[in-house]
Amino acid sequence: MAPSSLDVVLKGSSGRNTRGLLRVIILCTIAAAAVSSRLFSVIRFESIIHEFDPWFNFRATKYLVENGFYSFWDWFDDRTWHPLGRVTGGTLYPGLMVTSGVIYHILRLLTIPVDIRNICVMLAPGFSGLTALAMYLLTSEMSDSPSAGLLAAAFMGITPGYISRSVAGSYDNEAIAIFLLVFTFYLWIKAVKNGSIMWGALTALFYGYMVSAWGGYVFITNLIPLHVFVLLCMGRYSPRVYISYTTWYALGTLGSMQIPFVGFLPIRNSDHMSALGVFGLIQLVAFAEFIRAYLPGKQFQKLLTSMVLLTFGLGFGGLVLLSISGVIAPWSGRFYSLWDTGYAKIHIPIIASVSEHQPTAWPAFFFDLNFLIWLFPAGVFMCFQKLKDEHVFVVIYSVLASYFAGVMVRLMLTLTPIVCVAAALALSCILDNFLVASTPTPPSTETKAKATSDDKSLRSTRNPVVGIYSWFSKSTVVASITLYLLLFVAHCTWVTSNAYSSPSVVLASKLPDGSQFIIDDYREAYYWLRQNTPDNAKIMSWWDYGYQIGGMADRPTLVDNNTWNNTHIATVGKAMSSREEVSYPILRQHDVDYVLVVFGGLLGYSGDDLNKFLWMVRIAEGIWPDEVKERDYFTARGEYRVDDEATPAMKNSLMYKMSYHNYQSLFPAGQAMDRVRGTKLPKESPQLNTLEEAFTSENWIVRLYKVKDLDNLGRDHSNAVAFDKGLKRKRATKHKGPRVLRTE
Amino acid sequence: MGTTYHQLRKLPKVHRPDTIASGILEPFQPWRNCVLQVLRMRFFTATVLGLLAPSLCAATNLTTPSRLDLPSGFKPPQVFKNTNLVRNTNLEKSYVRETINVVVENIDKQPHNDYYIPFPAEVFDRVAGFEVRDKKALEKGRFDVDYTEAVSSDGNQYFVIHLPEPLAPKSQITLGISYSVLSSLSPLPATIGQADKQYLTYSFSAYMPSAYTTNTQKTKLKFPSTNVPDYTTTDGLKSGSDPERKGATYTYGPYDTAKVAPGTQHPITVRYEFTKPVISISLLERDLEVSHWGGNLATEERYWLRNNGSELTKQFSRVEWTFTNYQQAPTSAVRELTYPLLPGSVDPYFIDDIGNVSTSRYRPSIGRSAGSLELKPRYPIFGGWNYSFRIGWNNDLASFLRRAAGVNSDSYVLKAPLIEGPKMAEGIQYERVVVRVVLPEGAHNVRFEILEGTNSNGLPGVNHIHAHLSSLKTYMDTLGRTILTLEVDSLTDEARDSKFVVTYDYSMLDALRKPLTIFAGMLTVFVAAWGIGKIDISIKKR
Repeated sequence: MAPSSLDVVLKGSSGRNTRGLLRVIILCTIAAAAVSSRLFSVIRFESIIHEFDPWFNFRATKYLVENGFYSFWDWFDDRTWHPLGRVTGGTLYPGLMVTSGVIYHILRLLTIPVDIRNICVMLAPGFSGLTALAMYLLTSEMSDSPSAGLLAAAFMGITPGYISRSVAGSYDNEAIAIFLLVFTFYLWIKAVKNGSIMWGALTALFYGYMVSAWGGYVFITNLIPLHVFVLLCMGRYSPRVYISYTTWYALGTLGSMQIPFVGFLPIRNSDHMSALGVFGLIQLVAFAEFIRAYLPGKQFQKLLTSMVLLTFGLGFGGLVLLSISGVIAPWSGRFYSLWDTGYAKIHIPIIASVSEHQPTAWPAFFFDLNFLIWLFPAGVFMCFQKLKDEHVFVVIYSVLASYFAGVMVRLMLTLTPIVCVAAALALSCILDNFLVASTPTPPSTETKAKATSDDKSLRSTRNPVVGIYSWFSKSTVVASITLYLLLFVAHCTWVTSNAYSSPSVVLASKLPDGSQFIIDDYREAYYWLRQNTPDNAKIMSWWDYGYQIGGMADRPTLVDNNTWNNTHIATVGKAMSSREEVSYPILRQHDVDYVLVVFGGLLGYSGDDLNKFLWMVRIAEGIWPDEVKERDYFTARGEYRVDDEATPAMKNSLMYKMSYHNYQSLFPAGQAMDRVRGTKLPKESPQLNTLEEAFTSENWIVRLYKVKDLDNLGRDHSNAVAFDKGLKRKRATKHKGPRVLRTE
Repeated sequence: MGTTYHQLRKLPKVHRPDTIASGILEPFQPWRNCVLQVLRMRFFTATVLGLLAPSLCAATNLTTPSRLDLPSGFKPPQVFKNTNLVRNTNLEKSYVRETINVVVENIDKQPHNDYYIPFPAEVFDRVAGFEVRDKKALEKGRFDVDYTEAVSSDGNQYFVIHLPEPLAPKSQITLGISYSVLSSLSPLPATIGQADKQYLTYSFSAYMPSAYTTNTQKTKLKFPSTNVPDYTTTDGLKSGSDPERKGATYTYGPYDTAKVAPGTQHPITVRYEFTKPVISISLLERDLEVSHWGGNLATEERYWLRNNGSELTKQFSRVEWTFTNYQQAPTSAVRELTYPLLPGSVDPYFIDDIGNVSTSRYRPSIGRSAGSLELKPRYPIFGGWNYSFRIGWNNDLASFLRRAAGVNSDSYVLKAPLIEGPKMAEGIQYERVVVRVVLPEGAHNVRFEILEGTNSNGLPGVNHIHAHLSSLKTYMDTLGRTILTLEVDSLTDEARDSKFVVTYDYSMLDALRKPLTIFAGMLTVFVAAWGIGKIDISIKKR
């Protein structure tokens, strides 16, 4: 009989083995699904590094692989931030590059010649497979249900909130950091549960790895102390918490200080003070617990009150004093902008100008998490029902991450893991209750009689068996859940395919016959730079393209996506937004050879420099409020225009001239259109005097200008150009009018 | 197997080093041609011969080209006289292709067999595919040629042609000499506008530089078009107008130069329209990877390309280029490279340092016709611009590799083109070509030959191809794969049709080495994992 043969497999010791094997197979399948759903861009385009930051990471990884670890550690990069340079080795999180480097060298050891680029491209999908496994472990700690962990792993594997930062080619810190985040939390939960030094030390180890990999480690640095703090406030102090926290804090802080970029921040920066404070607090609590065992209640109460007041006063006073004296660094701007979303826009335009620092729109939650977002509160509620130490962690994490995800789009990434945990808890609870459809056998008459005699309080309990046992209701619930799950998969696939799989270096559009048409202008121009300009030609562009120029064109840049020097960026902004007479000296002073602008007017590519232009103006205005004024670029009616009615400041700005130089000659007279801004352009193209067009890509997206050398005859460039042009006019007017004697 | 081939320069055993791996750097013996012989035989004969003579097959025929060091103040002995010399200079391509037919007579009393051809030292290294045959018996194949170092006294470098049989006194032989000279055309004006016509100049001597007295000689120039705005007209060298023009062909001469001392120069400069790119490849690296298990021949080529034409006066203008492209007007820029691939080529790719070049197209071969790979560089390559890229594809190994005849033979024969390269009407010059043949792991007893036909194959003699063996460890190799590297300086795209043959021994054991290695490796891992799992490291009391 079939059921009996199934029983052999599913019950008893062989059944346990079978279920274990099944579990392993399911996990492997989930990992495979996680990896393969991230390969859209590789299949559709090629194995290529995406977007902007990954290009820097890729370049740094190549440097690491070529020059070895120590020279990477000491890397001073004079090809960025010209003429300042950047102490790259000390200002990056090396975890990502070192991870790829280690993988590369292991493969080399096995004589498998894999290109470092392919390792970098495939790193994020590979680690997302591991994240799914880590998620399984974490969720399994939260629930007794066998299905919760698997569900969470599957959610984590394919949810767009995580895929958005981990598709193939998205070689960024988050690629490995989310795995480390989840795994560190798993280890932490394990440590708190067992009160084991080993688990605490492992937590510290992975915390150290996380610190080396992503600036978001501060999230862990604050979340774990908060967890402990809440546990203390709930009166749940236990030696387990003490052991795991002190082990983690001591080892983890030491570990994190090994990263040059972090250095002494853990003891000097306000962001890290909560961990230190809780470390002190837990010592006091432990001491108080110790004293309590030896003192009578009343004396202990007095001692405790005075001690709390004293400690608080001393601690707070010390903190204020150290902050004022500058030993402890004040809160960073990014931190303030976490609490006040308007802060950045007023004080730090450079942070506000990045799209991923914008507050999240409501639909984004559904877009990135689909039905998990409404299962999430249910899961959190279930945690309240049990509320063991680890459930407190889930609750705190949910609250904190929900807030942060609302403030900044990119922090959706930290919310995603806990949403998966909570949703899996809720869903597994539903499935456990509804999937098993057998009606329990009614209890025997004597227990029945006992039950009726015992409970007279509630009517509902008078019935022998409580619950939903009808086939219909169960199958309805299960079917609808299945439907939701299927919709979730479809949604994730669709979002991944359409929203998150574009390399943004290569643009794709469809031809009328449905075939793919690839717009490859960026690489065309970058490769031209790489092949046909001197090796040390300095390229000025808006900072967005700095990393790409460094990675693809291999030429020194003035500013890049690192944005560590606001003044330097403002200088570039000023050069772009000023008149040529103002810009030219700036270009000369910074040894600029070529200027790169992105122009989407021909193709209707909206991410071009003219659309970002106002940010350049704003950032420049932050440093030179007298020379650059945002108001000047708007018409009297407050419009941002590029056509005939554009303001003089706009028309004379270098950016405007470079964007439209010679553009009108592509069209019949007076017909020139800007397809991004949808306006007709002035009849005449703007006249550039100090720059000359060096290269324009096929669809005009990237335009390169060469900065002219000083004029041979010592004229200024506008005179020289006017002379070159005027020569013909003079000849034409030669015979008109009477001769005029030159008077001196 | 109908093709005959020439196995050149079989050295006696004494000169052969015995190791394969050392790469065979033999010292050059001057005048060694006396002990050299040209063997002609069918291919399998060579293989069988190699198998039968173990000491011979332990060695390879790999050579390092070396040059004769002539004493200072050396002058070629005046033992010959050029009775009649006709030089055909073809300027239709972006390099100069010269074919010289000369009737040589021995005027000494002894028979002689070394005929010298001088070139200025600065030109010598740019001479590609130098080949000499008996004009009356082309099928006999090319003559042995030695290269010399520069002679300090007159700054000349010589090609020494070794006639197969010494030329008896008073007897004559007609030599057909053909070669190309790279980078000898210079654009004038050196910078032009983007849509302007491009002109090249070529300078040469009306009197062919020769080591010997020449009785009569003439030079025929073939231009790509009739638009030749400037050319030197000579005065008093001959009666009548000089040059004589007939369409795109200009003839200088014939001159009676019996009284003129050898080496006298009479400079001529011509300037003609050439509105096509001057494509020059400074380095081509070509890898052929043989996989017996996969039955695949993978080819990858890396090009460093440069257009040596006129540079742009102003900067590049996209508007103008759009209009030029729209009208399909001739241009001095490289728009597209057409690369015919052998039938059966699959999976082609075209990438450069920053990834796939999306603007290429591949038309696969249908039947026996060649496939065509249309490579469009990322940007048009104007004069002075560079472009480096790599392309690759796969072929079925069966059409290139054959097991040598014989029972249980472990010997294999690989026949493949030495270079392929794009096929362009304007021609392509290669300054340096490095071909690497990656043979399977364990292949030994490697020999290579160049197939010769009745016509020039555009290659220098086989002993001027630098060949050496090395090994490469990749894809879990234990011993490393044998790599045969062939290096040639100065080539033109005429060598497209040349084929080379590599023979090597590869036994069943060699083929099974890798599966066994991987099996052993996996076994070790599993046993180690099992062993480690057995160890109890708990600190509980038992």
